[in-house]
Amino acid sequence: MPKATQYKTNSVIFFQGDAGDKIFILKAGKVLLKSNDIETKEEINELVAAGEFFGVKSALGRYPRDETARVLADSDVLVFTVPEFEQLVLSNTRIIMKMLKVFSNQLRRMVSKVQNLMSKGVNKDAEAGLFGIGEYYYNNHRYKQAQHALTRYLAHYPNGKFQSQASDLAGKASQGVGGSPSDESASMASGSNLEAPSGVAAGADAKGFLEAVALVTQEKYLDAFKIFQKIVSTNSDPDHAAQAEFEMGRCLVFLTQFDEAIKQLTGLITKYPKHPDLKDALFFIGKAYQGKGDATWAKNFFNKILSLASEDEPVSVKTRKALKELEAKA
Amino acid sequence: MTMDLSIFNRFAITKKGGDIIFCEYEPGDAFYLIQSGQVKIVKIVGELEKTLDILNPGEFFGEMALLEEAPRSATTIALTDLKLLEFNRANFEVLMQGQPQIVLNLLKLFSKRIYDQKRRFMILNFGDDHQARVADVFLMLEENQTRTGDAEDVTRVFANSIEDIANWAGLSVQKVTEVLKQFVNQRRVELHQGKIVVKNINDFTRLVKSKRQE
Repeated sequence: MPKATQYKTNSVIFFQGDAGDKIFILKAGKVLLKSNDIETKEEINELVAAGEFFGVKSALGRYPRDETARVLADSDVLVFTVPEFEQLVLSNTRIIMKMLKVFSNQLRRMVSKVQNLMSKGVNKDAEAGLFGIGEYYYNNHRYKQAQHALTRYLAHYPNGKFQSQASDLAGKASQGVGGSPSDESASMASGSNLEAPSGVAAGADAKGFLEAVALVTQEKYLDAFKIFQKIVSTNSDPDHAAQAEFEMGRCLVFLTQFDEAIKQLTGLITKYPKHPDLKDALFFIGKAYQGKGDATWAKNFFNKILSLASEDEPVSVKTRKALKELEAKA
Repeated sequence: MTMDLSIFNRFAITKKGGDIIFCEYEPGDAFYLIQSGQVKIVKIVGELEKTLDILNPGEFFGEMALLEEAPRSATTIALTDLKLLEFNRANFEVLMQGQPQIVLNLLKLFSKRIYDQKRRFMILNFGDDHQARVADVFLMLEENQTRTGDAEDVTRVFANSIEDIANWAGLSVQKVTEVLKQFVNQRRVELHQGKIVVKNINDFTRLVKSKRQE
């Protein structure tokens, strides 16, 4: 049980530098947290509001207190051990979320302060930075990493200022991946060699699309899904975007996100009534219903496919197999 | 990690050794929990790839991207084949509902990282005083290891490499070697195969404290 404790005016709950494993809530009274700015060494004074926690970070992170908590007026304080605190917030997860937001903000600020000291004002923009990473790995003959970084550059900045350089290096890197026996794993090579001749003209979408298809064959559906999603949202190449929309639905089925899959594929059919993969889209909608355990709707879709497709089409073969499975289960 | 995470199987992804999971500067929309394998966190500074950390099963990475729209601050590479759980803002709620303990661990991690970053800042803030930087790195390493044994014993043995020290001090290996040689000449430090011995840790505490007050 947390302990209710009274502190008198001018007493100190903890000093900066103390080892501390307790967490406090100010119930009533007045508590001042005194610390020094690590940059300017200026004194920082913060009043704790009633109902607010203090001493949380140092107790959870197990490091010395970075403030002194001084009592300015007689105060009622609840004192928690870390396990007691955990119990409290686990049953009230909003507190965790709120603290996470505050802490992540502070962390982000600290990280950027540290980076400023490390790089002394060399402040690259994100686009140049990302391209720079690909370039760095390429120059150091680490082709696999180069290819990954450059592919991401092309996905994020399909019309970026380093677009042609990036496709060029990515193409060369993909040859490097295939040809370099020192590379730990050539898992990306098969996918990337496909697009090597397409070069700059085919652009980022073709590259991303093929990489994503390769990821599907490796069963990395979430990764593939994200790339397809990017292709759809940038929509710089309508053909690839339409194909990618279908692939997104297919990935969702594999990811067992059946409702999302149905939504995606139904949207696709409405948007592209003449989509080349229409029958396959229906098939995956059926599969999604099957996954949800909704045999009736699954059957409706499978039967629809059989009425549209000729008997020897691959999609018909798949569909008949799926119908058999359904019947076997029923 | 002893928790049963099977309900999160749909968030599971795999990576091959050498794969980049995400790059510095990429917009971040997901964070990861390592189920098996190791992840190397690196940053390219100037012409060098610096290893910031190596993470093991049960550890998180990419977590900062979760709560703020900001680019990734480092690149992550699979050191071995990996199994990861991938969470994003949309399914974070699912995680929170299903396993608030994991989110609480995340909160603890943030607490620890804020301190680590503050500590790092204090080291780097010594600027051109390389001796102070290196001495303070040893103090930081000392703070992070739990001490057992004789409380009177002021000798400390660090299993860290010169590269480690250089990394923390934000200095080149060459610079750190120079500083360590000065310390050796002053009989403050001994260098052995695979370990660095600080002969009196209190001596470094005094050194750093006096420099910090300047």
